[in-house]
Amino acid sequence: MSDENNNLSRREFLKAGAAAVGGGMLVMNGVGAAEAKSPGAKSMGLANFDAVFPSPSRLSAATRSLASRSLSGEFGRALASLDARIDDVVDTKGMSGEMRVATAIRHIAANAPLRIHPLERVAGSATLREASMHRVPMCDLYSVSHTTLGFGRVLKLGYGGLRRQIDERLARGGLDEKGVDLLKAMRLCIDAAGVWHGRTMARLEELARDSSGDEQACYRSVLANLRNVPENPPTSFAEAVQSLWFLYAFQRLAGQWSGIGRIDQMLGDYLKKDLAAGKITLDEARELIAHFWIKGTEWCGEAAAFGGSGDAQYYQNIILGGIDASGREVTNDVTYLVLDVVEELHISDFPIAVRLNRRSPEKLLRRIAEVQRHGGGIVACYNEEVVIKALTEFGYPLDEAREFTNDGCWEVLVPGKTTFIYSPFDLYQRLQQALGLNGDGVQTPDYSDFESLYGAFRANLRAAIDEHNKGADGYATNAHPAPLVSLFTEDCIERGRGYYDRGSHYSVLATHAGGVGDVANSLLAIKKLVYEEKLLTLAEMLDMLKSNWQGQENLRKLAQNRVPKYGNDDPEADAMARRVYDDFTGYAAQVKERNGVWRPAGISTFGREIEWRAGRKATPAGNLQGEYLSTNFSPAPGTDSEGPTAVLKSYCSMDFTRLPGIGTVELKVHPASVKGEAGIRALTALMKTFVKLGGCFVHIDVVDTAMLLDAQRHPEKHPNLSVRIAGWSARFATLNKEWQDMVINRTQQVV
Amino acid sequence: MASGLVSDIQRFCTHDGPGIRTTVFLKGCPLDCFWCHNPESKSFAPGLLYTAHLCIACGYCVECCPEHAHSIFNDEHHFDRTRCRECLACADECYTGALEQVGREMTAAQVVAVAEKDRAFYEESGGGLTLSGGEPAAQPEFALEICSLAKAAGISVCIETCGFGPAERFLSLAPHVDLFLWDLKDTDEARHLASTGAVLAPILENLRRVDRAGGTTVLRCVLIPDVNLNQQHLDGVAAVFRSLANCGGIELLAYHPLGASKLERLGIECTRPLPAACAPDELVSAANYLRGLVGESGVIER
Repeated sequence: MSDENNNLSRREFLKAGAAAVGGGMLVMNGVGAAEAKSPGAKSMGLANFDAVFPSPSRLSAATRSLASRSLSGEFGRALASLDARIDDVVDTKGMSGEMRVATAIRHIAANAPLRIHPLERVAGSATLREASMHRVPMCDLYSVSHTTLGFGRVLKLGYGGLRRQIDERLARGGLDEKGVDLLKAMRLCIDAAGVWHGRTMARLEELARDSSGDEQACYRSVLANLRNVPENPPTSFAEAVQSLWFLYAFQRLAGQWSGIGRIDQMLGDYLKKDLAAGKITLDEARELIAHFWIKGTEWCGEAAAFGGSGDAQYYQNIILGGIDASGREVTNDVTYLVLDVVEELHISDFPIAVRLNRRSPEKLLRRIAEVQRHGGGIVACYNEEVVIKALTEFGYPLDEAREFTNDGCWEVLVPGKTTFIYSPFDLYQRLQQALGLNGDGVQTPDYSDFESLYGAFRANLRAAIDEHNKGADGYATNAHPAPLVSLFTEDCIERGRGYYDRGSHYSVLATHAGGVGDVANSLLAIKKLVYEEKLLTLAEMLDMLKSNWQGQENLRKLAQNRVPKYGNDDPEADAMARRVYDDFTGYAAQVKERNGVWRPAGISTFGREIEWRAGRKATPAGNLQGEYLSTNFSPAPGTDSEGPTAVLKSYCSMDFTRLPGIGTVELKVHPASVKGEAGIRALTALMKTFVKLGGCFVHIDVVDTAMLLDAQRHPEKHPNLSVRIAGWSARFATLNKEWQDMVINRTQQVV
Repeated sequence: MASGLVSDIQRFCTHDGPGIRTTVFLKGCPLDCFWCHNPESKSFAPGLLYTAHLCIACGYCVECCPEHAHSIFNDEHHFDRTRCRECLACADECYTGALEQVGREMTAAQVVAVAEKDRAFYEESGGGLTLSGGEPAAQPEFALEICSLAKAAGISVCIETCGFGPAERFLSLAPHVDLFLWDLKDTDEARHLASTGAVLAPILENLRRVDRAGGTTVLRCVLIPDVNLNQQHLDGVAAVFRSLANCGGIELLAYHPLGASKLERLGIECTRPLPAACAPDELVSAANYLRGLVGESGVIER
């Protein structure tokens, strides 16, 4: 503290601080001008939301009707239960864990109820409640989630091809007893799939026999599409759609929660061939895709059983667009049909992420914008140029990096080859530790300057990463049998080891830090108020935080409103965020692999900002204890007053090629700012600029607080209003109040 | 370097001219529209907005106010506007945003520096800077310098104007402006005078001169129930449009009475009852009627 400042009274300190801190900031009356500039903005509720952005109608009435029945929870509420444990039904004594689970899957295939709806064009239903609750039925095991299995590979091979691979591997020999047992368990899973297929076919035959007219024709077309698949490779688009769903639905029935992956890549060539041969029209193909999408909603209505985090979090992610292993753009007719279906049916249950690059087709960007504008944040965007670079710099071969999908949230991985686990931690806790605020006996520190404080924070950050690195030593071996998942994962057959037994080609333990924005904002507040403006000492600041800023509301407002914050394109705040980010990614990159486990770093909170609140005190940035802090790599709620372009600028100032675990930013845009043709162009430009500036992953959500508040008060009026935050999307009405409040509290970015 | 008074700068504006734009609101307007959307930008002096529900009654404003306009009784803040001379000392001390200064002196270079920040977005969207107000041309040197600096920096420039003022102002701006968003408040002489306090003729004359000088324009018309939301006005707008050589079309905007929320914060009493909001279907039928007069392409929907 300088002598000159020492002689000033606290009162004058405040005054000097206000001028110095506030002087560089243009205080803007954001809302007022927004009101004036966007006529009608505030009066726009959901009632005329649809009028402003009307949904097109391309699908048949029957398909639309089936969609609304499924979305209403009709099928989800009818889920059944196989109460018995497999051990009470079959003698499992002496069986390996893998064989026990395979035996259960065989039992499930033979006994789970079948559900075939007369309007359905795609067959196969995962009808067990345990599965919808992230459990393997009959087994007392949690589901495998956070992965995307190799559906593309298995679709082309068919179960027959997989069976031959297993037999070939067994014949070749060299496997230990455990390996032989696993492969036999995998083969039992294939047999089980065959049993389920046989039952479904028989039921369809029966239904077709006992019906007539359109209904009979529908059953017959489903029968025709299902007859040869998934045992054999599909010979048509219709077979391919049916096969992919049957593969996917079976792992769901068996309680596994994989993502789906690059559906346009998997199905595009079949459609192209059939279109060229005149075997199908685009309208017919769209109907089939719609029925696939409706299938993805058949667990709707089971939300209550799964706690408060919503019914759409089944990790059934879809990736669209982007380049393939050879560098060619994948985007094809299927890409557009998927967007058509999502736009029309508002189904958010398959969260979609589109892979963008600087050469992405203009038509694709436009269609994404049109779908985004309906709200719900169903479509998010990767900048694949940055993601692929981050993955190759981390060590993945280029062709595999180019095939990236995600784990069902948005952390990227190589599908069908990766066992993925991530370990999250709250970066803000590390700052609290350095500040002695964690109540663990550490004396209140007295750092003489900001650099000493920052150094202590950095040391704590490093200790956290060191601790997380040790997680690799205990990385899954012999844990959690999952033979069906192993069947869909390369190199499990070759190695004779399971998904959780180091059988996968890649074993990944990603370190994910959350709270970068909060740490940056707090560090900057301390730097300015304590060390630069010397309005108060560090000890005084810490006392205020311990007492939750009690009696210091004015100082709190000063910290909140007159110190720059991350997310406003402010050079000082962004530089602080970058410094924290660079230290985290730089130190994490020192251990890329340990014990054969890959260690990519990412930035995320995935909704943990809720549970982390309990451990967070009031912040130097002016937050009270218990406030929602920033999600993922987004600005802290209420701190981003400069709008979405500023948020993107701040976020994109990070070097994301350093972040193989990636990190996402959420943009909320008011419907008024994206209405009309100008709105489409604005959204398109936002996406293009996000790619150009080197962003990584962005959710653009068109949503309006008034609508959310109304949905909270009158859930019956907005049953299908969906929101997407923190890597998942959910129907708003299915969230409990705490989650709803958090969604509402997040900043509105109004024109 | 010219400087002037800015009441607000907003980024990611998507309906103030083409593309993603940064809209700069200059403070002060020669018109006095009773229904003004932005009443805080009417005055040419910095003003004080008071938002009572943000106040935490900390009392700092009491200490710093030389006029004793602020007081605290029973932990409640009272603000006597009659004593306030808008010195704005209190706004500096108020960290809650309850007392807020509207209108800050900036140089043209500072304004353009803010606009620079979103250049990447302009490039992808065909956007740029939009000068609005208040009436930007009412700070002629400041406006001219902003426009010429932006233009020289390769940033597209739109200017939203009521068109009132000496013709030279608009003619000198024209070479630096890509598009004039010309706010045509009314086409009826008497009503224009009654509701804006200004005569219509010079506004139309300025418009025609800018047009003849090659300036590209869009007519922006706020439709206000019980004021100008009638067939006669729409006929008048169509006639003006047809008289111009370089007018890109007519953009209709729906009036809303939200400006009233700011009147209270400004401590201004609403002397004349505000019209009701223009309903979406009224806007649609007006646009359809106008299309019948000037053709499909004559009505711009952004």
